[in-house]
Formats: sequence, C-alpha cells, structure tokens
Amino acid sequence: MSLMIINDLVFVLIASITLLSALGMVLSRNIVHSALALILTFIGVAALFFNLGAAFLGLVQILVYAGAISVLIIFAIMLVMHGEAHKTNRFNPSLGTHLWGGYIAAVMTIGLVAAIWFSELPEVKGRTVEDAVGLLAGLLLGNYVIAFEAAAVLLLLAVVGAIILARGVEEQ
Amino acid sequence: MEHLFTNIAQILTSWMVSLGLPPIWADLILLIGQWTIIVVIVTLNVIVLVWLERKISGFIQERLGPNRLGPFGAFQTIADAMKLLTKEDIIPSQADRWIFMTAPMLFIVIAVMLYAVLPLGQGMEVVDLNVGLFYFISLGSLSTICLLMAGWGSNNKWSLLGAMRSVAQMISYEIPLAFSLLGVVMLAGSLNLSEIVTAQNRYWFILLQPVAFLTYFIAATAELNRGPFDMPEAEQELTAGAYTEYTGMRWALFFLAEYTNLVAVSALAATLFFGGGQGPWLPSWLWIIIKTYLIMLVFMWMKWTFPRIRMDHLMSFSWKVLIPVSLANILITGLGIEFFRGMGW
Amino acid sequence: MIGKGLLKGLGITLKHGVEKPKTIQYPEQRPYLQERFRGCLEFDYKNCIVCGMCTKACPNNVLSFETAPIEGSKKKRLVSYTIDLQYCMFCNLCVEACPTNTLFFVHDFELSTYRRDEIKKVYIPPALTQVDAGGGQAELIPQDALEPDREAEAEAKRLKQLQAMKTALSKGGQKVLAKYVDTEEDAAVLANLLQADEKKRDKMAALIVDDKEKARKVAQAFVAKERKTQAGGEEK
Ligand code: SF4
Ligand code: SF4
Repeated sequence: MSLMIINDLVFVLIASITLLSALGMVLSRNIVHSALALILTFIGVAALFFNLGAAFLGLVQILVYAGAISVLIIFAIMLVMHGEAHKTNRFNPSLGTHLWGGYIAAVMTIGLVAAIWFSELPEVKGRTVEDAVGLLAGLLLGNYVIAFEAAAVLLLLAVVGAIILARGVEEQ
Repeated sequence: MEHLFTNIAQILTSWMVSLGLPPIWADLILLIGQWTIIVVIVTLNVIVLVWLERKISGFIQERLGPNRLGPFGAFQTIADAMKLLTKEDIIPSQADRWIFMTAPMLFIVIAVMLYAVLPLGQGMEVVDLNVGLFYFISLGSLSTICLLMAGWGSNNKWSLLGAMRSVAQMISYEIPLAFSLLGVVMLAGSLNLSEIVTAQNRYWFILLQPVAFLTYFIAATAELNRGPFDMPEAEQELTAGAYTEYTGMRWALFFLAEYTNLVAVSALAATLFFGGGQGPWLPSWLWIIIKTYLIMLVFMWMKWTFPRIRMDHLMSFSWKVLIPVSLANILITGLGIEFFRGMGW
Repeated sequence: MIGKGLLKGLGITLKHGVEKPKTIQYPEQRPYLQERFRGCLEFDYKNCIVCGMCTKACPNNVLSFETAPIEGSKKKRLVSYTIDLQYCMFCNLCVEACPTNTLFFVHDFELSTYRRDEIKKVYIPPALTQVDAGGGQAELIPQDALEPDREAEAEAKRLKQLQAMKTALSKGGQKVLAKYVDTEEDAAVLANLLQADEKKRDKMAALIVDDKEKARKVAQAFVAKERKTQAGGEEK
C-alpha cells in the first residue's frame, strides 16, 4: 500500500466523520447534543487541516472553535434553556420554511462548487511549508496589519458593548 | 545511557524493516508501541503520585500518611485502585447516558494526548510537531468540553453548576497561561518544544522569564483545578462539582486524568523554563523526570499549604492581575529582544 | 511585598513537613494517659451505701439502682446497680457526689461493643444472707463472709503446732527427735544440740511441722556435724 492510498483513506475517514457529525448536529432533537456534534464537526475540520499539512490552522480551529466558541454556545444554551432537553430542537413543521431552507442550501452549495470548479488553484509542490507560523505572522503583522488591527479593534468594541449590555448603563 | 531509548527504537525499527515490513508500517507499529508505553507509564505514575500526595499531606500535617500496606504504605493506592475498579458503576437513570459515559473517557484521552509532543528526553518525543506548544494549549482547551459534558450528562443541577464553574475558571486561566508561554516562544523563536529546549543551552528561561514562569505556574494550577484553586471541585464543600454523580472507575478516570494533566503541565514547565533534559552527568530523560517531579512536589506543597480561594477572587485575579501582568511581560520581552538585537547580540 | 504571606505559609508547612509526625499508631502504640484520665466508669459494690447521691448528681440519668429493704432494719440493700454508659458524658459529677468513692474512673477507654445493650453495665452484688446482728436486728452480709476462713484457720493451727514443738524441743524432746534420726544415741546428741542452739531449734521445729522428709535430712546432717566437732574436740 502506498502512502497516497493511506492518505486518501484517512481523508475519507475524517471527512465522513465530519459530515456525519454535521448531519447529527442538524438532525438531533436535543439541542445540547447538537452543540456537541457541532464540536465534533469543528474537530473534524481541524483534522482535515492536519491532513493537508496545515497543523497550525488545525490547532487554531481546535482552540478557537472547539475549545472556546463552542463552550460559549453551550453556556448560552444551558443558561437560557428550560423545559425538557429532548424537545429543545424541534423541527419546524411549516413546509414553506423547509423549502426556503432547502433553496438557500442549494444555492450555497452550487455557488461554492462553481467557485471551486472555475477558479484556477495553483498546484503546491511539497506538502508542508517550513515555519508556517512565521510566515503567517509576517503576513498578519506585515502586509495585512491594517486589516488585522481593524479586526482587533472591532472585537474590542464588541467586548465593550457586550459588557455594557450585560451590566446595564447606570441611570443618571 | 543518553541514547538508550532512541537506540532501542531504532533497533526495533530496523529489525522490523529487515523482517520485510514496509518502513511506514514499522513506524506505525513503533508509534503504537510508544503510545502504549506512555499510557502504561502514566497510569502507573499516577499510583506513585497519589501515594506521594498523601504522604506529603501527611507530613505537612504531622501525620504519617499511608503506612500499612507495603513498605511505607506504597501499595495503598494499588488497593484503592482495586476498590475503584470493582465498585459498582452507577449511571443515574435520568442521566444523558452517552454523554455521561463518554465524558470521562474523552477527558483521559485528551490528557494522555498531551504527551505526544513532550520531549521526554533528547529526541524522545512521540511526534516532533513544529507547533508543539500550540498543540499543547489547544488540546488543553478541549478538556473544558469534557467537564461540561460530565456536568450536563449527570442531569444534576449541582453537577452542572460545578462544571460551569470549572469551565469558567479554566477558560479565564487559559488566557494568561497562553500569554505567559508567549514570552518563551519569543525568546526561542519557535513553537517546537525540542527547539525551545535547545534554545536554553546557555540560560534556562526561568532566568530570563521569571514573571512568565510565575504566571504560568499560577495559571497552570488553576487549569488543573488544583488547590488553592480547586473551587470547582472543592470536595469538602461542594460534592466534587462535575464529578458528583460519577462512581467507581468512571470517577477514577477523572482522577487519573487530573494527575496525568499535573504531570504533563509540570513536564511542560520543566521543558520551557528549566532546560528540559539539559543537565550535567545524568542522561536527559532522567533529568526531565527529576525536574518534573520537583515541580510536582512544589504543586503538592502549595496545595497543602494554601486555603481555597473564593470564586469571585479567583476570577478577578485572573482578569485583573494575571492577564495584565502577562501582557506586560510580552511587551517587555519584545522590547528587550529588540534592544539586545540592536546592541548586536 | 506581595506574596510575603504566601512564602511564609510555605515556610511553615515546610517546617512542619520535616518535623516528626505526632501520630500514635493506636492499637500497637498505646496513648499515654494522664492519671486522672476518665475512661470507663466503674462501680465497686462493696462500698456502696445505697444513698442515691450519684443518681441525683448525674445530669444524663446514666445511673440507676434497685434496692430491697432489709428486714428489721431501716437500711436498704443493693439488688443491682446499672451504669448505662451510652448516655454517659464522663463529666465526673457522680464521682464527686459519691461519699464512699464507690464510683471511679479507670483507664480503659475501649468501650465500643457490638450490640447496644452490651454497653450497659449491670452490677449485681453476690447473694446476701441475713444474720442476726444482735439486739434483735438483722443484717445482711455477703455469703462468703459467713463461711469460715479455711486458710486463716490452717495458719492458726500451724502456728499452734509450731509453738508446741518449740517448747517440746527446748525441754529435750528426745522421743520426738528419735523419729528423724537412726539411733537413740543420735537423738540424744541432737536433743542436746538443739537445746543449746535456739536458732537451730526453731528451724528444726518449723521443719518438723511443715516438711517431715526434709526435717529428717536436716536432722541427720546436724548429728553428723555435731559428731565431727565432738571428735575434733576430743582429739585436741
Ligand atoms: S460521669 Fe456524668 S454523665 Fe456519666 S454517670 Fe457520672 S454524672 Fe452521669
Ligand atoms: S453515691 Fe456512691 S454510695 Fe451512694 S448510691 Fe451512689 S455509688 Fe452508692
């Protein structure tokens, strides 16, 4: 068995786990289960990054999405949830909503596939880049520093806004 | 002596290749072998650690600690492990069964996976990942999910509250933990743990980064949910937080994972701040064991000295003290590096 | 300085960490008990005058006793005395109240039992017999007080015999001594000797009363020695 076949097998395994957990997230009737399935999906995506040799991105995916954002989601779910857990994620019975959802999903899928299909992806020789982190850091804090800082300021504003919303403004 | 284990690994690989196995399979088998050895060592080590912790707490309180079974009570933990293994495995009828059952397993799996990148000696890491340190931090962040799963799965409001407290604590201390490590990364210029060890050829980073070490140490204690930051578990006051409903082996898995994490965090501290396997006379793997154990002794010493910290103090300590301090440390480290570079060092 | 207190705490625990443990490993090592340690509460029926002070003093109603009237007397006699130790808090009030030191604490502190009623201690004094105390009054005394004291009697008898033997020997007593030596001659020699030496006489008398066999041997030895000295004296 050559390395390529093993690699493909691993890819298929990871991809199917990711897809299955994504499906589980959508279909589960228990919203906490949905959130956990979402985490599994995030980890699957991270594994795909690993498989592509982008270990740093994969780890960022785990740290930010699986480790932090999902905890936030779960916290929010647990804090606002009431009633019984297995009825929390009911399917919406109206047909119109189903159709709209299906329509949007189809458009998204077609758009993505078309974008990938028609764009010319340059072939990368050699799977890993030496010192990917350094490269990334150079780009983020060099060429794209303005965008980076703008995002940082945006996030800071969001945090301040959240704090003000949470604590309430003092009445004068 | 120095290359004992690496040589064994090499001999095994070449032997397997000579038997006609393709090298990739030989590597895979070796990898599985390494994992098995790590899991076994980690488990056995926990037995020693529990014994050590009890002895130390005993000595600090002028007691004897375990002293009945075996020399100096050394077999006491084995007896306890037996007891835990044979105890009834109770799953509450209203629990979210699968989540309840998988949470401890995931917790221990994540704890053991941390060892993949730790250089346990020169050239003795299972995977020589060039983002090793980052791997360590991001995997560590996953264990919060396990605690949440445990708390949620138990379907017990106290478990859930305990889990939420743990998670809140762990998330807030993850930030200073990562920031404190940044100073080291800046000095070494790499996220690869073995390269960080090599970068300490001249000075151990504890000398250059004492503040980072302090913040790391405090944040790590909180991450481990160890005293004086063991508020989420607080077995004397809250019935063990997220672990309330767990019995027997499932509970023991949490216990095992906590000690495993303790070893991992101490080994990381030894690697990042105390020159890893560097040291005179003894082989590198012995040095790292000695250093790890010394750091763990300090962890235990602190646990049995300090009283538990109140939850709100705990949180504000992280956000108002540790994070600013570690940020300032990053700034000063950056300035220092630029300064010395400008001086032509 | 921030953290000074923490360091101090670490120092304290370190200091205590290297100190010798204070543990007493109980079943093997026994704790040192002070003299007035209050272990188990004990009762000695011999001294009890059935006054009831102890029951009045006890705040927990631990103590109780049953009495029976003594016929022809204003006094009562003790039928049983109960210490229900499970309620006792070892406060010492009963011991202080008792006028005759009947109640007292001992050092035995291993009081746990397998069953609840085992912790209750009931003392029943030995059966009492009524005797005539004179003056038409009856008194109850323990059974064994009525039984003649055999040992004391035997001792008295022995003393009497000894005295008689001593007087006999001081007056000669050849006939008595003849039983212990082989010939009449020897008996005469021995009688003379014992008459002269009071120490030997007492010894001989005691031996004759207590142990005849030994008396024979000692008597013969005395005779042989006496003969020898006599022979030596004649030679001189
Ligand atoms: S020691 Fe106190 S409680 Fe116990 S029997 Fe005596 S008076 Fe009662
Ligand atoms: S106080 Fe003493 S003498 Fe009086 S009844 Fe109690 S034990 Fe007997």
